[in-house]
Amino acid sequence: MSVIAPNFKLSEFIKSILDNLFWILLIMALIGFPAIQLVLFFIEMPVINGELLTPFLALTWLIDPSRSLPIIKAFMTTDLFRVAAFPGFGFAALIAAGTIFVERKMLAKLQLRVGPFYCGKIEGILQLMGDGLKLISKEIIIPAKADKPLFWAAPVLFVATAAAFVALIPVAPGWVVADVDVGLLAVFAVIGFFPIITILSAWSANSKFPFIGGIRALYQMVSFEIPLILSLLGVVILTGTLNLSEIAASQSSFPWIIFLPIGAIVFFITMLAELERIPFDLPEAESEIVAGWLTEFSGMMYGLVQLGTYLKLYAFAGLFVVLFLGGWSGPMIWPPFPEEIITEGIELGPVTAQFPGLPVFSQEMLNGTVWFVLKTVGVIFFILLPRGVFPRIRVDMLLDLGWKKLIGLAFVNIFIALGLLYAGILGPGGIF
Amino acid sequence: MSFKKIRSKKCAYLFIQKLGFKAKLVGELAGNYSTVVLMFGFAVAAMAPALVISRMLSPRKRSNPVKFLPMECGQVPTGEGRTHFMMQYYAYILMFVVFDVVAIFLYAWGSTILYLPKDATLPIIGFLAIVFGAMAFALHQSGRRDIW
Repeated sequence: MSVIAPNFKLSEFIKSILDNLFWILLIMALIGFPAIQLVLFFIEMPVINGELLTPFLALTWLIDPSRSLPIIKAFMTTDLFRVAAFPGFGFAALIAAGTIFVERKMLAKLQLRVGPFYCGKIEGILQLMGDGLKLISKEIIIPAKADKPLFWAAPVLFVATAAAFVALIPVAPGWVVADVDVGLLAVFAVIGFFPIITILSAWSANSKFPFIGGIRALYQMVSFEIPLILSLLGVVILTGTLNLSEIAASQSSFPWIIFLPIGAIVFFITMLAELERIPFDLPEAESEIVAGWLTEFSGMMYGLVQLGTYLKLYAFAGLFVVLFLGGWSGPMIWPPFPEEIITEGIELGPVTAQFPGLPVFSQEMLNGTVWFVLKTVGVIFFILLPRGVFPRIRVDMLLDLGWKKLIGLAFVNIFIALGLLYAGILGPGGIF
Repeated sequence: MSFKKIRSKKCAYLFIQKLGFKAKLVGELAGNYSTVVLMFGFAVAAMAPALVISRMLSPRKRSNPVKFLPMECGQVPTGEGRTHFMMQYYAYILMFVVFDVVAIFLYAWGSTILYLPKDATLPIIGFLAIVFGAMAFALHQSGRRDIW
C-alpha cells in the first residue's frame, strides 16, 4: 500500500500543479516584482558597457537576446555549466537513461519478449519515468541491525564516485570537466573507490546475502584491476602522455585499436568485470544470492545505485572510446553554419532578429560530440549484448581468467607496443 | 651549492617540464583536480534530495518488526549477519596489494619512455622477469587449497 497509488488521478495531479503555478505567479506579480523594483532603486547599481545598470536596463537585457547571449556564453565557460550540464552530470545522466531503456528493449528482443510496452504509447518510451515515480514513492526499509549512517551514505557515495569518474572523460576538444595532467592515473584512483563503497554498503547492511555479494565484488574488482591497468600501458607507451585529451587528440589519423587490438580486448573484458555485467555478474547473481550486495536496498536507494551503475557504464564506454577508438576524431559531418545567421540574424516570419555571435557551439565541437556519442553508443551496445548471450561464470574461473590469462595478454600487448616503438613504426620519427 | 648539484636540479626541472607538468607549484597542480571534487560534490548535492524527497513522499509504517529483519527469503534469520569470509581467496587480495603497486610503477616508466634512452628499457625487462617469477610463485601458492 502506498500513498500515491489508490487515489491517484492524473487529471487531479495536473490540476494541483496548475493551481500551485497560478498562485506562485499571482504572488510574484503582486508582491515579488514590486518588491524587487523597490529594492533595486535603493541599491547602487554597477556600470556595465559604459551604461549605468538601471532596473529597466536589467529587464531589457533579459528580453533582448543580443544582450543576454554574451551572458549565456560566459555562463557556458564556467565550471558550474561543465559540471552540471554538458560534459558532466546532465549529459552523462541522459546517456545513462537512454542506456537503461535500450538495454531493456534490446534484451527483450533477444529473448523473444516485448519489453516495456504500455507506458507512453510509443514502445514504452516513458517506462523509465514511471519506474522513477514508483521508486521515489516506495518505502525505504532499512534492516534493523544495519549500520544506518553508512547504509544511507553508500548509494549517494556510489553515484558521486561514478560522477567523479565521468568528470575525467573528454567529450570534444576542450570540453572536459577536469583536464588533469595525469588523467589516466586519476581514472585508476577513482575506479579504486568502487570496491570500497561496495564492501562498505555490504558490511553496513548486516545481512548475509549482501555480505556474500560484497565479498564477491571485492574479489572480482581486485582481480580485474591489474589487467585493466596493464592493458592501457601500451597506449601510454605509444603516446607518451597520461592526459586523456592528449591521448584522444593523438589518434586524429588512426585509432590505437588498429595497432593494439589485444589491449583493447583485454580492456573490454576487464571493463565488463568492473561493471559487473553478465558473464561476470557474480556480485549480483540473482539466481544464487537474491540480488547480491543490492539485496537490502529498497526504493530510491536502489534507484540511486542503478543510476550510479549506468553512469559508470557510460564513463567506461567513454574511456574505451577515448583510449582505443579515437575519441572525438572523425570526418566532418556537421554542416557548416550558414553565413547569414552570423551576419543578418534569424528570420522568423516578418521578424528578423539579430544575434551577434549566435552559433553558441563551434562546428568542431558539435562534430566531435556527434562522433564521440556515436562511438560511445556503439561500445555501450557491445557491453549490453553479452547479457542476452552468455551465462555466468564460476568464481574460480573468474580468478583464473583474471590472474593468468588476462595479465599474460596484457603483457603481450605491452611488448607489442614496445616492438612498434623500437621498430620505428610508431612514435617520434616513426613511419606514421 | 656546487655546480653539479645545480645542474642536476636543473635537469630534473627540465625533465619534469618535458613530462607535461605545466604547473610549477604543487598547489597549482592540485588545483586542476578541484573540478573532480566539484563533480563529486555536485552529485552528492543533486542526489541526496532524492532520498529526502522519497522519505517525505513514501509511507513509513513501523507496524511489524518482521518487516525490518534482514532478507533471507522469508526465513527468520539466525546467527551473525557478517559471516562467511571466504579464506581460500584471501591470497588473491594479498597479491593485489603487491602487484597493483607494480602495475602503477610501470606507468612511471611507460609515460616517459619517449624521453628515455633505449638502454633504460633493459632494466625494466629484468624487473618484469622478476615480477613474472614472483607472480607465478604467488599464483601457485594461492592455488594450493590445502594451505588456505
